Amino acid sequence: MRDFDYARPASLAEARRFAAEPGAMLLAGGTTLLDLAKCGVAAPVKVIDITHLEGLDAITFGAAGVHIGALAKMSHVAADAAIRENFPAVSEALWQAASAQLRNMATIGGNLLQRTRCAYFRDPLAFPACNKRDPGSGCAALGGITRNHAVLGTSKVCIATNPGDLAVVLSAFDAVVHLGERRIATDDFFLLPGMTPEREHALEPGEVITAVTIPASAAARRSTYLKVRDRQSYEFAAASAAVGMELEPDGKTIRDLRVALGGVATKPWRARDVEKALIGKPLEPEAVREASLLAMTGAAAQGDNHYKIDLAPRVVTRAIMKVGGLA
Amino acid sequence: MTTDILPAKVKRGDASDGGASLGSRLSRIDGPAKITGAARYALEHHLEGLCHAVIVQSTIGAGRIGVIDTTAADAAPGVLMVLTPDRIMPLKSATTWLDTPGPEGPYLALTNVINFMGQHIAAVVAETFEQATAAAALVKVYYEETDAIATYDDPRSGEGMALDHLAVSWGEAEAALAEAPVRIEATYRTPREYNVPIEPHGLVAQWSGDKLTVWEPSQWINGMSRTYAEWFGVPYENVRLVSPFIGGGFGSKAFALAHGAIAACAAKMLDRPVKLALTRPQTFTAFGGRPATRQTLKLGATEEGKLLSIVQTGANETSVDGVWGEPLASVTALMYATPHLAARQTVVPVNTVLPSALRAPGENPSAFGIECAIDELSYEVGIDPVAIRLRNYAEEDPHAKKPWSTRQLREAYEAGAKAFGWEKRKPEPRSMRDGHHLIGWGVAAGTYPVRRTAGEAMVGLFADGRAEVASSGIDMGQGTYTILAQTAADAIGLPVDQVEVKLGDSALPGAPVAGGSQLANLMTGAVHKAALAARDELIGLAISDPNSPFRALQANTLSVADGVISSPRGGEEVTIAELMRRLGRDKIEVLRDTLPETNNSAAEKHKTYTTITRMRSPTEGDYSLHAWCVHFIEVRVDEDFGTVRVSRVVSALDSGRLYNPKLAESQWKGGIIMGIGQALLEEGLVDRRKGRVINNNLGDYLIATNADIPDIEVISVGVPDFHASVLGGKAVGELGIVGVAPAIANAVYHATGKRIRDLPITLEKLID
Amino acid sequence: MSKSLTLKLAVNGASHELTVEPRVTLLDALREHLGFTGSKKGCDQGQCGACTVHVDGERVLACLTLAAQVEGRAVTTIEGLTPEGADLHPVQAAFLAQDAFQCGYCTPGQIMSAVACIKEGHAGSDAEIREYMSGNLCRCGAYPHIVAAVREAKEVMS
Repeated sequence: MRDFDYARPASLAEARRFAAEPGAMLLAGGTTLLDLAKCGVAAPVKVIDITHLEGLDAITFGAAGVHIGALAKMSHVAADAAIRENFPAVSEALWQAASAQLRNMATIGGNLLQRTRCAYFRDPLAFPACNKRDPGSGCAALGGITRNHAVLGTSKVCIATNPGDLAVVLSAFDAVVHLGERRIATDDFFLLPGMTPEREHALEPGEVITAVTIPASAAARRSTYLKVRDRQSYEFAAASAAVGMELEPDGKTIRDLRVALGGVATKPWRARDVEKALIGKPLEPEAVREASLLAMTGAAAQGDNHYKIDLAPRVVTRAIMKVGGLA
Repeated sequence: MTTDILPAKVKRGDASDGGASLGSRLSRIDGPAKITGAARYALEHHLEGLCHAVIVQSTIGAGRIGVIDTTAADAAPGVLMVLTPDRIMPLKSATTWLDTPGPEGPYLALTNVINFMGQHIAAVVAETFEQATAAAALVKVYYEETDAIATYDDPRSGEGMALDHLAVSWGEAEAALAEAPVRIEATYRTPREYNVPIEPHGLVAQWSGDKLTVWEPSQWINGMSRTYAEWFGVPYENVRLVSPFIGGGFGSKAFALAHGAIAACAAKMLDRPVKLALTRPQTFTAFGGRPATRQTLKLGATEEGKLLSIVQTGANETSVDGVWGEPLASVTALMYATPHLAARQTVVPVNTVLPSALRAPGENPSAFGIECAIDELSYEVGIDPVAIRLRNYAEEDPHAKKPWSTRQLREAYEAGAKAFGWEKRKPEPRSMRDGHHLIGWGVAAGTYPVRRTAGEAMVGLFADGRAEVASSGIDMGQGTYTILAQTAADAIGLPVDQVEVKLGDSALPGAPVAGGSQLANLMTGAVHKAALAARDELIGLAISDPNSPFRALQANTLSVADGVISSPRGGEEVTIAELMRRLGRDKIEVLRDTLPETNNSAAEKHKTYTTITRMRSPTEGDYSLHAWCVHFIEVRVDEDFGTVRVSRVVSALDSGRLYNPKLAESQWKGGIIMGIGQALLEEGLVDRRKGRVINNNLGDYLIATNADIPDIEVISVGVPDFHASVLGGKAVGELGIVGVAPAIANAVYHATGKRIRDLPITLEKLID
Repeated sequence: MSKSLTLKLAVNGASHELTVEPRVTLLDALREHLGFTGSKKGCDQGQCGACTVHVDGERVLACLTLAAQVEGRAVTTIEGLTPEGADLHPVQAAFLAQDAFQCGYCTPGQIMSAVACIKEGHAGSDAEIREYMSGNLCRCGAYPHIVAAVREAKEVMS
């Protein structure tokens, strides 16, 4: 790690002021920042330790939904009884992420900002070409080993997968990211790589994530997060799906459906085509299977990752069937 | 515990003989230090004036260094020295583990010629670890890059070089194959696999004049000491290597490697102690793991499934600057009775670090081939996979044509099948399911040879009645400390908690490599011999010393048990401590070795402990000596996702006599678990353009987690094998992994009807 | 050192003052500066769990924590799991009895993780123990014995 200055702001206002300085980076859980600093990807000039700020870690419920402070730990949110009742997919996404230790460190705000696991992005010495790290330098992943790379939302300059689990759920349930006063929908918070893959989210310099709110909904109450991976635990998703469902009183017609995918796209991937195809229809296995294929509209394989195009719709199907009580 | 005095031919220390110690399930005696954090591993030795070295590795796969610009690194805070190929001190070329001369010319631990990606090219030494790390990133290297051949799948790598010493044949294999009524042919592949012990490699090196002390995790104290001594041209005795605890090795910590030379050079050049730790990514290229292998097997058989011929052609990757042959016929030519067999093998040089030993080198990929192939044959001829194995059971070593010393393999099939419930298996693939899960049951056998080298041990008896065992042999978790204490306690007649064991220090009596699953057998033999001699000396004094209460008694009338010496004909009982007091002795110390009495010179000992030239083959002598196992494995395959999870394992193993079943079972299970990871997860992913292993960390090179592993039942079917070793044990540590991957592949076939012949069995191979 | 901080760290119930650069991790502070070498460095990148310690009673990875971050918080390492001279912690005793380790290198991290796992209430079943102990890799393959040890210790502790 390059040497850096260390500052422990006494207030959010001070944190914002520090964060606006060139080369300054916020330190919350540290699980991404210190990791990337050791890889040589991040080189902060000044590290702003906000872990001591008070009052930013509360989980509060209201009629409209839940408000989760940005410094709430992943593990605390996962274990929260009201979260488990009202947003089971949130809890499931969290406890299936990383490890128990990392979840005790990582915060909700920081979790949204975690960087891709693209091996080429993480290895600047051996692979200097990375448009995300160094705009215009090229993409070493193209033509390389792409088993874990994205099939959705890619561009010709970047195919890095967004590694998030929680963010997928937030996308499905229309969560809002709070940057102090400014609010921004999850879907808009995360940016497609396009020609600017270095810009992954809508955060401006000096802005700090302060909270995430998730609107309450019947679909969120009846939700799940299904994560498929090579290793049973402590691994990122090969493909994952956050699904929530509300049925009509008849118990079989789909009134509301939320579907988002993880592990396959350059950002948390809301699959609205799947939702539209099934809302108002009876919950039936064949229809679900058909509709799930729509999740891959526009998907493009990059060599070794073709399997994700086959796998992801199956994960979506299983998750829908599961929340529908059919699997 | 009672131990009769003389004659020495009586078997000692066997639980079945009434000895309570050896053979019992004693908890490991080094355990308390490990669970409290008190155990000091090599890099935890903090010395006055210690400075830190960090290595810089090449970022090209082939070529040479044009210029290394160290200006920024030299000027960085805290930097004491930047070592480059031009600045490092040339060392002498060291001899190899085969006792052959090393490469000509001086040995440079850093070179300008780049043969593989991730080769050490510079090192930065600074006051702190952080400073050294930061400065290492400032070293600028300008390369003259040439094309790297990344893997043996690159057509430019060619067919490779034949390794004639690994070729095996008997009968007329090709002709017999051509005439066989049933023939199958398939190619099996295993990827590069890595040892990844959780303790990364590294060392602390300190010079005092021309004496070097190295704290370094080591599977071979004496062999590595020899290399250090030869590199620096100092007498062997001038090197002290200390390694009382080793955080896992699995074959990777047996040799002194370039990073060791770099640290020792830096310590000498700076005249300060230097600590050097490889980063986790650096461990993927600082030494080689198991090379990638491929083998094509052709089996010819009768319609009843009786083997007529086996023809095998195999290859493994090696480096462009060395040869590592992974013996792919080692199980093929041993497991089954076949009248005809021909196996040959090549190595294919590519731009990689020289591959090396990883748990059961040879046997592991060899078993993957033959144990999958015999399974394929079983379906071809419609015979149960266990039945076809028993039909082709080798009643003697089919290659050496010698009887087995012991082979409890039939018993292993029987015990394992019974415990697993194999008779309930439905033979057709895809015939068993539970919801979304296809269930498969697979079986495969494994074997590992009994390797034999002599060793030596010092056994001391002290005035307080306690005993001490001392050896440079090591304990990296196999349980050496514990079983040697048990051995000595039994032989002397002491409670085991009265025995202290000192290991892992070149200042102690010598031992050969802790590899090839040989150390437990050879060291229990040496300790047993030394401990008996110590007790005999004590008894001798007891009957001859005028101050002894037993003076004038006959030696064979005395017994020693629980630290008390007594005469069965009545009279006084005294503790060893009391007797030592009366004898006026501080200690009785006995050094014994197990070299032939006709050939046990100091030079011969040195060769025995520092090379492998004195290791005896498993077929030297009248018998063929091997350990055996069978794994029965259940997998659950998600039909939609292709994910495979192992849900049940029953393994029956023949390691001969177990000196401590608790610890032996742990080693077996450890091997099985590593085999599960090998089957489903582990694979070094090589970028074809640059030869880089891109998953060079524990987040991307996946080893099994706790959640990947079910309960594992292991059943010991061994019997004491005194042809194999003094106290009756055979191989343990490397046996367990052999056969696991094919058992899983066979189970996956049974579950899904898909035959996956290239490891690991990842989900994309099972979904179409 | 170009930049340095003087920190007061509360480790195992005692206050320790040390002067280090801001970039020094808690793991290196413990191992290189304070002599608490029980916490192990296995990967230094948050992927193995060997460096697991407790901060304010919760298990975290010391390799991805800056020493400066834990000022004012209580750090517990394997050396401080029980008071000096006290008997083994039930988890330690169970690890020994079940042979839940071989080389011993991941062991302090496993034990610190196991103590927290039980305290969190994540040792309710073998499956739960497996999942919640999966952040601690063991290359020797002691997993089934670790599960048995956690199960045994949980019973002793309840």
